[in-house]
Formats: sequence, structure tokens, C-alpha cells
Amino acid sequence: MTDDKDVLRDVWFGRIPTCFTLYQDEITEREAEPYYLLLPRVSYLTLVTDKVKKHFQKVMRQEDISEIWFEYEGTPLKWHYPIGLLFDLLASSSALPWNITVHFKSFPEKDLLHCPSKDVIEAHFMSCMKEADALKHKSQVINEMQKKDHKQLWMGLQNDRFDQFWAINRKLMEYPAEDNGFRYIPFRIYQTTTERPFIQKLFRPVAADGQLHTLGDLLKEVCPSAIAPEDGEKKNQVMIHGIEPMLETPLQWLSEHLSYPDNFLHISIIPQPTD
Amino acid sequence: MAEEQESVLQLPPSTAPGGEGPTEVSPETATPETPSSAAVSPGTEEPAGDTKKKIDILLKAVGDTPIMKTKKWAVERTRTIQGLIDFIKKFLKLVASEQLFIYVNQSFAPSPDQEVGTLYECFGSDGKLVLHYCKSQAWG
Repeated sequence: MTDDKDVLRDVWFGRIPTCFTLYQDEITEREAEPYYLLLPRVSYLTLVTDKVKKHFQKVMRQEDISEIWFEYEGTPLKWHYPIGLLFDLLASSSALPWNITVHFKSFPEKDLLHCPSKDVIEAHFMSCMKEADALKHKSQVINEMQKKDHKQLWMGLQNDRFDQFWAINRKLMEYPAEDNGFRYIPFRIYQTTTERPFIQKLFRPVAADGQLHTLGDLLKEVCPSAIAPEDGEKKNQVMIHGIEPMLETPLQWLSEHLSYPDNFLHISIIPQPTD
Repeated sequence: MAEEQESVLQLPPSTAPGGEGPTEVSPETATPETPSSAAVSPGTEEPAGDTKKKIDILLKAVGDTPIMKTKKWAVERTRTIQGLIDFIKKFLKLVASEQLFIYVNQSFAPSPDQEVGTLYECFGSDGKLVLHYCKSQAWG
């Protein structure tokens, strides 16, 4: 029988087959072949695309190259969002591979943050983890850790080392015996149909009467348009890591098992595909 | 953004105290006024936190970073951290190339595209969001 711990591995090792193509207006010295790569769902674009960059820079002149950025069907891809979230939100209803266009010019300042080095990714990642722990444990657990523990979390992600990462991350998934879960659940709900970047609010995993709140309870409270009325037609998919968890799933369990490495549940609300 | 003590422009009564701020602060792409924040009739109470368009931010300097003369600001919920950083830098007359870091709960630096409204919802207390700002990295 599947252990809950197997879920952690399945989430960590999730991959998206991707085809990178150079934007047609980029200036090349010879034809640029597309580059195929399996992208880790739980990582970040600029952390895992060094090979992509090298591949295309081989056919370009130094003066035509500035900061790399990625785009899918005209939408610039935010490198600071986890890869799996970007895919689920923008491309999950399309056929594989995920076709991403690579740019080296005209960086879209209004849409994307700059990523001059891996340090910037590390700083962003650690900040997200700290924010998550501020919600889960009033920052007590992450603040009690030593600098080397923080470094181990980052190195684990950077080097795709599940055991190295979880040796430390498991502490962030604990809670006092007298409680039934975290103080608040770190979550962000994304929809392409709204102006706001995402919904993030305070939400407790346990109700006053001790009952565990479910994914459905969360959505009803903070994003009621996401779920169909009792007898209505299902208009949306509620997706995490490419799957639709049952709305009856306890939120505490989801937070412990389906969070991204940054300890947030990144949830996509996408239109139900019509096939 | 609105400054608490000043009321430079004559505007329809807004829900935030003090009205709009000095005109030299260039507004971000403004979100259109919704009907609920239009002119408030006399005697109407300020709407509950959820529907207030602006939230109160208290800015605290860290280390030897210059202190803002005005520390309390009413800021639109959709203002981003980057927008706030740009405003503080202008107010403190810092050079564009100088860095400024903003921290929540003295523990994490939110992403530049994070909206202050969301931070207020999750980390605000006593009706305001306390943010620490620093010219160097204070809390990593």
C-alpha cells in the first residue's frame, strides 16, 4: 500500500517534458535547433536552464545576448514561480511537450523580475520559506535553525537531492502535540482570469470544533467562484502538481504532502477542458 | 499614496483619513475607482477592513538607514513592494542604484511584485502593516 511518504517523492520527482525554441527574431549565426529537457516541477526556470542557455548562445554572437527570458504563447514566464505552477496554470490543457520560447532581447520589465545570478533565486526561495513558516509556526521553527540548515534546504533543491532537502524540511512539517496542525496554512491560489496575481489569506487548518478543514472549505471561503454549486456543472479544475485532489482532502494533509519545496501550496484554478 | 497629515488635493471624500498625498508622488497604474469607494455620504462609517481600498503601513528604519519623517502611510492594497521601495527611495532622496530592502515581521523580504494588501491580510496587526526597511540585507 502506498505510504504517505511516497507522495513526497512523487511530488519531488515530477517532471514536465519541455521543448525550448529560440525566438525567431533573435539574431543567429546559424540555425538554432530546439532543445528538449525534462523540467522539475518543483524547481525554478532560471535554476535548471543553464544547458538551454548554453545551447542557444552557441549560435549567437556575444553582442546579441543579454538576459535570458522565457515565454509561452506570448505570456512571459515568471521565473520566481515554480515550474509546475506555471505549467498547470498556463499549459496543462495543451499537448506535450510544453513549448517554451527563449528570448535574449527586449526583457519585459513590467512582467518579469530580473535574475542576474543564482543568489537571487536562493534569496527568493529562502524568503518564501520564511514567509511560509511565519504562517505555520510564527517563524519559530525556521528561526531556530542554523545557517547551515537553511543552506542545506537550498542545496537540496538546487542539486535535486530529496533526502538532503527533507532531512531539514521535515522539521518545518511538525507541529506541537496539543495542536492538530499548523497555525495557518501557507497557500496561494492562482487564476488566469483575474487581474490579481494570487489569493493569499489567513486560514486555519482546524476549525473551532476540532474538525479538520478541507480543500473545499478553503475554496468556499476564499475563492467561492472556483467550485461549482451543488447541482451545477463543473466549470473549473482545482489543480496542484498536475492533479485534482478531492475537495474533501484535509488541508493540513495537503500542506504537509503537496506543498512545493518553499512550503507553500500553489493551487491553480483553470477552466475545465472541453474534450 | 496618501500622507496622513497632509491633504494637498481637493478630492471627493475618500475612506482613508487625510485624502490623497502630494502630487509629486507619481501614482502607479491606478485601478479604477469602484462604486463602493465613491463619495461617502455624511454619517456613513468607514467600511470594514476587507473593503477598504487603502491599508495603513508603518515604516521603520533599520540600522543606520535614514529615518522617514513621515512613518505612517495609507497605501492602496494593490501597490507592490517594488512600488513602495521606489517611493521610499525617492522620499529619502536615495540614488536609483542604491539598494533598499523591505522586511515583514523582521524575518522575510517579500518579492518585489507582492501586493501590500495581501501582506496586510496575512501579517498586519492592530490595523496596520509594519514594514522594516534597510539599505543592506538585515535578515537575509
